[in-house]
Amino acid sequence: MASSRDDFIIAIRSAFLKKSTQQKFSLLTLVFISIFIIVLSSFDLKFIRYLKAGISEVVYRSSFIVSIPENFLKNTFFEIREYSTFFQNYKINKEELNELKSKSISDKITQFENEELKELINNYTLSSDKLLAKIIVDHDSPYLKSIIINKGSKDNIKIGTNIYDRSYLVGRVVEVNYKTSRVLLLSDLNSNVPVTIAPQNVQAIITGTGENYGEIKYIREGISNLNLEDSIVYTSGTGAIFKSGTPIGRVVAVTGSSNRFKVDFYSDFSQLKYIFAELVTKTEVKNEDQQVEIENSQINNTADTKLQILEDEKKIIEQTNLKFKEENELLKIKINNLNKQIVDFRNEVYDQKQIIAQYNIDLDEIEFLRLNLKFGHTCRKSFLNNDGFEVGTLEYKSCVMNKGQAND
Amino acid sequence: MTNFKQRGFYFKFYSFLPIMVLFISVLNEFDLNYLKLKYFSFNFPFILIFFFTLKDFKNFDYLLVFLAGLVNDTVVGLPLGISSLSYILICIATSYLRNITIRPNPIKDWFYFLLVIGLINSINYSILTLFFSYDLLLLSYLVNIFFTFILYMFFAYLFKYYLKGLND
Repeated sequence: MASSRDDFIIAIRSAFLKKSTQQKFSLLTLVFISIFIIVLSSFDLKFIRYLKAGISEVVYRSSFIVSIPENFLKNTFFEIREYSTFFQNYKINKEELNELKSKSISDKITQFENEELKELINNYTLSSDKLLAKIIVDHDSPYLKSIIINKGSKDNIKIGTNIYDRSYLVGRVVEVNYKTSRVLLLSDLNSNVPVTIAPQNVQAIITGTGENYGEIKYIREGISNLNLEDSIVYTSGTGAIFKSGTPIGRVVAVTGSSNRFKVDFYSDFSQLKYIFAELVTKTEVKNEDQQVEIENSQINNTADTKLQILEDEKKIIEQTNLKFKEENELLKIKINNLNKQIVDFRNEVYDQKQIIAQYNIDLDEIEFLRLNLKFGHTCRKSFLNNDGFEVGTLEYKSCVMNKGQAND
Repeated sequence: MTNFKQRGFYFKFYSFLPIMVLFISVLNEFDLNYLKLKYFSFNFPFILIFFFTLKDFKNFDYLLVFLAGLVNDTVVGLPLGISSLSYILICIATSYLRNITIRPNPIKDWFYFLLVIGLINSINYSILTLFFSYDLLLLSYLVNIFFTFILYMFFAYLFKYYLKGLND
């Protein structure tokens, strides 16, 4: 018993301490270094932060280069799939674009009014610029859902910067390096976003599920009995982590459960190539005199902008009218052409009817001549035939047609 | 094969292939997740490290394995040192198995691998949830262990061919 325990201890000791000729460190040393690094990384020391940022810069760039062949294959596959439905999508998109163009104008006006009202409520103004960033690393890990972008502290990216795909929210920055940043996606298990569900105006929190959808959590009891299906989910701005009013997705009921809902994100996180990072700058409102001046200029600006929007709207309406007029003209020409065609066809039909009638008459004539040759002598009035008729009379013709028998 | 050995560069490249594949796989996160098979994922570096350290492959330096772990943590976004610790623990487990084994048996190695990855993923999960307050899906870990275990034999078969090519 003692010897087997000794064997076990010897084997373990050998495993930990024995170095083969090629190895520079024993495994025990490396275990201690690993633990030391884990402990250090749990402290938020400045030195560690810089070291991590340095390593990340190198590793992210290397990862981007190494992933090029795999990404090329992946993208080719997706592109081929897209081409197969290209025309159909084009038609749908064209229709959608026309609808959205008309909606966009009224949205602009609403947005502008919204901003004015917000400025009245707060004593500061928020202005934001959207910065286009490329995704350099997008490894779909089964545990953590995050992406790496090619913008960092050099481009004023900060921890918490909101990240968008078009106008949809996709996540926020959780790690910033000099020229790269890590974005935690909404689908990650550690992501929590305060949201408003419209049109019911219900407040809730969406958490990631590790899949390509989120789950609505922390909803007040009673409200969960409402039918939230197909409702729109957008950020509520509670906690000031995310900007309010940004669309996220659509509510879908979880099959088999009436009280659980999931959120189908508008953006497909697996297909992201470029994203927008929102750089927000906060400006304090100036003192009263300056405020009056600024307000005056803002009022002027407001009027100018509204005027601009209305002019744009007018232009679009005029263009639409012009288009309709052109279409009308084309339709008129078409109608005229068609009417002309109808008249031509009618004339043709009349001519053909005449020809058919003439043909029928000719047929009767031929029949009469044929019978006349045969029975003419029977019907003709002559010296020997007093019962006959004068040639050319109707009675004569009738007699010939009756094959030599006079009508009674 | 003498020619192969005489051609210094190609031979060196071939003999360092496993460590290069390890670095490529941690940089590239080679786990076929983009196939979008629900829950499907496996840990290729675990298989690679387990196999080559078990065979005591001379160009498979522990220090490089340790560095590969650091790279993996950076790419995945885990706290630095977690994957390094996991990889080094695999090396310790294989070193122990080598010490106690007289007659190697692939099936025994295979089940020992299951035990090792189960233990290491448990440690990994515990550290991340207890010390770093990460929310993680236990099911993802279990599925990952299962597929890593299943695919071990397939990759072991390929690696044996590689070793055969090197020894010939």
